[in-house]
Amino acid sequence: MNAVPVIEVNSIATRFGAQVVHDGVSFSVPRGQIAALIGGSGSGKSVLVREIIGLRRPDAGSVRLLGIDVWSASEEQLMALRRRFGMLFQDGALFSSLTVAQNVATPLIEHAGVPPHLLGPLVRLRIALAGLPAEAGAKMPSELSGGMRKRAAVARALALEPEVLFLDEPTSGLDPITARAFDRLLRFLCDDLGLTILVVTHDLDTLLGIVDRTIVLADGKVIADGPVKEIMRVDDPWLQSYFRVRTMLEGPENNRGT
Amino acid sequence: MSAAARDCWLQREGGQATLFVSGEWHLSRIAEIDAALAGVNLPASPLTIDGAALTRLDTAAALALLRRVAGAGASIGRLANFSNSHMRVIEAVLGRLEAIAGETRPRFHGALAVIGMHVLDFRDLMRGHLDFFGRTAAALGDIALRPSALRLKELASQFHHVCTEAIPVVVLVTFLIGVVLAYLFGLQAEKYGANIFVVDGVAIGTTRELSPIIVAVIVAGRSGAAFTAQLGTMVLTEEIDAIRTLGLSPMQVLVIPRLLALVVALPLLVFVGDVSSLAGAMTVANPLLDITPTTFIERVHSGLRLEHVIVGLTKAAVFAVFIAIIGCRMGMAVSRDSRAIGISTTSTVVQCIVSVILLDAFFAIVFQELGY
Repeated sequence: MNAVPVIEVNSIATRFGAQVVHDGVSFSVPRGQIAALIGGSGSGKSVLVREIIGLRRPDAGSVRLLGIDVWSASEEQLMALRRRFGMLFQDGALFSSLTVAQNVATPLIEHAGVPPHLLGPLVRLRIALAGLPAEAGAKMPSELSGGMRKRAAVARALALEPEVLFLDEPTSGLDPITARAFDRLLRFLCDDLGLTILVVTHDLDTLLGIVDRTIVLADGKVIADGPVKEIMRVDDPWLQSYFRVRTMLEGPENNRGT
Repeated sequence: MSAAARDCWLQREGGQATLFVSGEWHLSRIAEIDAALAGVNLPASPLTIDGAALTRLDTAAALALLRRVAGAGASIGRLANFSNSHMRVIEAVLGRLEAIAGETRPRFHGALAVIGMHVLDFRDLMRGHLDFFGRTAAALGDIALRPSALRLKELASQFHHVCTEAIPVVVLVTFLIGVVLAYLFGLQAEKYGANIFVVDGVAIGTTRELSPIIVAVIVAGRSGAAFTAQLGTMVLTEEIDAIRTLGLSPMQVLVIPRLLALVVALPLLVFVGDVSSLAGAMTVANPLLDITPTTFIERVHSGLRLEHVIVGLTKAAVFAVFIAIIGCRMGMAVSRDSRAIGISTTSTVVQCIVSVILLDAFFAIVFQELGY
């Protein structure tokens, strides 16, 4: 739709001491796509996301997010940029001393200048958009189940109407039913609210179910990039064994003659 | 008015009113949009909303629009000329309007209810402590029957943490207490020419009262808080559960070594504090009160009965039991929630200090009655 990609990563290099994590990682994500970032443990997926959103400086390369060069932008530009994307951390990272509603209200009060009579309804709308029941707003994060806590974190990430949403392993630790419902939530955010989504995941069902495009990190490089059906055919030992788990599971089911 | 006219305006044709919305309808402009909507005199009848000139619409702005329309008693007759993506946003909000209608306020309790809840909490806390004390005693009984169950290595390591590492801070604080006491007593005693009684006063005051209390407070802050934080973290990371599933007893592995280490360590630290506060008093006695170190030590020999020191050390052992029990129990009782450790640690320190001072008052009466 839009000519300028939302996320543009150019030959990123990252080193932890002598260990090379990224060695020239490049990809771009256009507006309105759900892109998944996959790779083995320690392949630097989460680190890459932290570099894209400006939490950790890459050793070389550049990141453009919504057209702004994250690592050469001024502090004001960065502050403005931070209101345009949301991040969902692995365990939600909800503020434990605030209720869910207060968690969601925090960015709204801090940044948006919402008229007081709209604040309550807006917070409740966010909570509803994230698929939580209205009662959840008055609860403390410690009173929520894992799946609800992630939804509450989504509600907070959505507070400022972000254009881009980053998620770090959103379905890990959720049961398959809750995980699939979470996938549908992402699809709704992308299709109906027009968000661009980059999700770090290990979940094959997420990949096969809702993702438009998969980026595979291995040995510090992007080894494959495209729709998951194409990725499955890429001749790479790690990728092949990754998808073989799936075919092993599905094989007998298909033979049963469904 | 001109800004309002740009965001939205109303047109009437016959009986039909049409609300035109246009421009950037986004959260960053929410206050202006809401004001513009408030400025339009919406009719209380079905309304057509025309979104042809809308360049951007997000859920926050859609919510503001729908709430203003509903607030005016109007209803939406038709949504015209909205782009597909804007329609989807409006539908996403429309579908949730009912769900978000009710206000969910956190419940507030009256003063009486709050007092009642605190009383019940306090009762539960005391019951829990008593229960934990009982289980600790039972675990100690096990060790008496089967001494090999005692974990000497853990005991030694805990002793190092609570005793050896605490010596510098104990020496510093009690030394200064000795200095201050001798100085203040000296100022008064000099008026009566009773300089030498300063030694009696400092010696009895520190060994019997001040050194045990000050050292117990230091240890409560250092070790009591550390016990809660260590055990609380272990609860959070499920280490305590792991210990249980491996067929070990958290009591034997974690609590007993800490308790025994503290019961041995605190009297020793108090003794260090006794010596150090006397040394502090001695250093100012010479220049300020003309009491030479030799005279000072002789006077301590004749003026300080051993009972006072023993009373101080005995109290210290009892304080240690309370600090260890409270510290360990508060750690083991942490709920699995990252905020809880901070709350419990603070609570441990407060409880330890309060109980040390209460115990001290109790001992003051008991030892008085017993004639010590």
